[in-house]
Amino acid sequence: MKPDEKDIRLLKFISQVAAGFTLVVALTMLFSLIQLKTIDPLDNPIVASVKEQYDRDPSNALLAEQVRAVDLMARKAYFSSRWQVETGSYLLLAGAVVFIICQRLIAGSKKIAHSRPGMQPDVPGQNKLAMNTLMFAGVVIFTAAIVSSFVLRSALPDTLSEKRLAAGEERESRASRRAVQSAPFVADPTNYPFFRGQDGRGIAGGEGYPTEWDGPAGINIKWKTEIPKYGKSSPVIWGDKIFVTGAEGKECEIYCIDKHTGDIIWTALVHDLPGEPDEIPEMDHDAGMAVSTVATNGSEVCAVFANGNLVCTDTDGRIKWSKNIGNPENIYGYASSLIIYENTLIVQFDSNEKISLMGFDAKSGELKWETPRQGYPSWSSPVIGTFDGQPQVLVNSNPNVTGFNPVTGAQLWAVEAMYGDVAPSCAVNSTMVYAVTDYAKLVAIQPGQPATVIWEDNMFTPDVSSPVANDDFLFLVTGYGDIACYNAQSGDTIWTRYLNEPFYASPIIADNLIYILDRSGVMHIVRAAEEFQLVAKSPIGERADCTPAFSDKEIYIRANTNLYCISESE
Amino acid sequence: MLAWHMVVIAQERFPRPEFETDYTYPEYQLPAARHAAWEYIDTGVLILVLSVTTWLALKKRSRQGLVWISLFSLGYFGFFREGCICSVGSVQNVALALFNDGYSIPLTALLFFIIPLVYALFAGRVFCAGACPLGAIQELTGIWPKKLPRAVEATLATIPFIYLALAVLFSATQSQFIICRYDPFVGIFRLNAPYTMIIFGALLLLAGIFINRPYCRFLCPYGVLLNITSRFASRHLSITPAECINCRLCENACPYNAILPSDLEIKNEEPAVVRRKFITYLVLIPVFVVAGAVALYILSPGLSGANYDVKLAREIRLEMKEGIPAASNAAIAFKGSGRTDEQLFTAETEIIERYRKGGPWAGLFLGLSIGIGLFSLAIRTERTEYRPHKGKCYSCGRCFKYCPVKPKTEST
Repeated sequence: MKPDEKDIRLLKFISQVAAGFTLVVALTMLFSLIQLKTIDPLDNPIVASVKEQYDRDPSNALLAEQVRAVDLMARKAYFSSRWQVETGSYLLLAGAVVFIICQRLIAGSKKIAHSRPGMQPDVPGQNKLAMNTLMFAGVVIFTAAIVSSFVLRSALPDTLSEKRLAAGEERESRASRRAVQSAPFVADPTNYPFFRGQDGRGIAGGEGYPTEWDGPAGINIKWKTEIPKYGKSSPVIWGDKIFVTGAEGKECEIYCIDKHTGDIIWTALVHDLPGEPDEIPEMDHDAGMAVSTVATNGSEVCAVFANGNLVCTDTDGRIKWSKNIGNPENIYGYASSLIIYENTLIVQFDSNEKISLMGFDAKSGELKWETPRQGYPSWSSPVIGTFDGQPQVLVNSNPNVTGFNPVTGAQLWAVEAMYGDVAPSCAVNSTMVYAVTDYAKLVAIQPGQPATVIWEDNMFTPDVSSPVANDDFLFLVTGYGDIACYNAQSGDTIWTRYLNEPFYASPIIADNLIYILDRSGVMHIVRAAEEFQLVAKSPIGERADCTPAFSDKEIYIRANTNLYCISESE
Repeated sequence: MLAWHMVVIAQERFPRPEFETDYTYPEYQLPAARHAAWEYIDTGVLILVLSVTTWLALKKRSRQGLVWISLFSLGYFGFFREGCICSVGSVQNVALALFNDGYSIPLTALLFFIIPLVYALFAGRVFCAGACPLGAIQELTGIWPKKLPRAVEATLATIPFIYLALAVLFSATQSQFIICRYDPFVGIFRLNAPYTMIIFGALLLLAGIFINRPYCRFLCPYGVLLNITSRFASRHLSITPAECINCRLCENACPYNAILPSDLEIKNEEPAVVRRKFITYLVLIPVFVVAGAVALYILSPGLSGANYDVKLAREIRLEMKEGIPAASNAAIAFKGSGRTDEQLFTAETEIIERYRKGGPWAGLFLGLSIGIGLFSLAIRTERTEYRPHKGKCYSCGRCFKYCPVKPKTEST
């Protein structure tokens, strides 16, 4: 049904009323909105004034009541305005709907003018215009995009430049790393201060070391000295003195032995330190209290024992300081050896209760820093390496292989790569750190932030002995009697041999030969080369698990009972 | 005016009064989630509405019926379902799901995206005619339609392509759902939105009284997809129910310039000219594609500012470098979150990289759209009847009453 003229007039009237109503509601809402914007019950000056009066006279009950009343009034005013706006919006909507309906009805009542348009549409012309416009729009859009890109990106980081810069820095860094790292590690020919020698790397200085000897026959055995007490610690050397440790029960000792004669020069007894546990900590029956190797820097001789007694003497055996650093009780017994960086004695502390790395002032014994480590106890020892000019203490443990700053103790990097019982220490060359343990894997890590695993392998995994590396090769021996040589950079296995005897002692590279002492006391001497070449097999005559020391063309082997000096000059 | 109401509702509540009595505050009441069944009901209603609209537009040819079905959709999908879920916004869910493994798109969102496109493939843009609440509110307020000059129409028609490209880019990079955020009508449906959006919606409706469906024509990103899909529609609404007699009475019937005239009496361009244009604009397509890709690649780091992390990183960087205090709520929340500056800047760099990857594709789409748009205008077509432009026509049925031809019956 179409509205007639009368209806149209009515509709027009209704729509005008609706429009007027909508306008009035809109204005009312505008007013309420302004009120809402300006009224804040919390900042109402009247409320504030009354509150101020009340603060001055808090005991005045009348004032308290007045505060409540004014506060309530202010809130009521606010909510009234809100209600007006809320209700107004519905009224506004209703008014607008009525207006639109009326207008639609009015518009719909108009008859369609069925008149034929005059001119034919100029379709080509219209198309041309549309094309030109579209082309123009396209050009404007893309130009605007390019122009606005410069405006919009002003506060953003220039990632492309950063990338280029980073790439350049990386190239420079690589070049400089090669330059820094190309300086070869040169071990001292005389001093062999830590477990596995200088920096704990397993590389001996000097040359001309003996390759053939026979302990039982006395061939090339310069001297042989019985170590008074049992121990698994390896000998270390400074100048003319050799230092080893031994223990029986709770009595722990440091021995200083004359390098030339084998005579025991002095013995330092370490016991009954404050905090020392009453009982000998739980440990493997084979281990004993003296597993950790001494560290010396020529002025201090430092030793740690499995009950947590840490001591430093001078080279004449006078105790400079001693302390108990806590009971490092763990299932196999404490085994980590000490190492000294400049004047900092570094202790890898692994117990069931706590694992950390500590730095002590070697002269005073003052704790300089202690960095907690994450994971489980391990039996490896710290090693020092230098990468990009940054000396680092490298620790192999479960689960992390970690680099620490030896001065501050700060963790520099960590790679989660190990699991199970970790006893082998890291091997280091000028570019990488190598970590391994049995039932896990061998990983080659490029230190940095972040450190990167370059390659890994799981064919040969030692359980006790540590790997050793130079820039070309990585060598390791296992508890099953294997020896393996890897390409240090690529991880390719170059050669392997089965030597029939298990190894606990760590291999040492000396004069381009690898000295590998098996548990039966036979030293296997192999060329540190691309092809396997056994140079000699020399027995010491008794079982041996300690890592040998090298100094001035002589080799020092601690067997189960005796310390041997091997020298071809004899 | 509704804006004022929305402002109030969106405002933060101030602290509760401190009573010294034993007054017990009421527990917070949170509205219960909608029952999952509503998702199926919504999909069912969508299919039903689309089917009825198709019947009304193609078979029944009832403009009145289309207005009523629009009114129903406005009531149901608009005011009752408060504008969500909606096919227009579902574009973003699809983009997010396509480029982010961690996001699983809700089935309803996927169906709301696909179903209207399927109908468009078979029957044209019946979704716009009867099912879209955004289209419905504009259709109902479009009282005195005026045509826009073709040049203006052609220029403004590029905006939805840009909007779609940006919406997909922002969604794919997990930055923003701009279609929902800047939906001009959802605030009216919910009686709640930032007042700027309400004003924008009100202005669009006011403009729509004369320039009908301004959002559909010059903004709607989903309309771009419907436009493309419906060009391949097997059936489509026709102006005349029988054979066109070329009376030209419908020539000005469509306020959307969506009627293609018959060219029986029109002097077309010379074939040689058409051939030259054809080749020229064909060659221009790859030029536009490359230009678009390059432009958006350059623009992409700037666009990444739409991402909240990038915006926050910018604020924090300004504070670090220039001492301008980062005082926004986001910055305050960030400082208390325990997240480090380094982590934020790393996230920022990653997001910018994602933009650098996605930007050229968005530009490629834009360039291709403009290139093909130009090329299609250069193609010479011969029409012996007045018919709707399949891509542009909203199937609203306004043109029905302009046609004097009566439908054929068996008796005639």
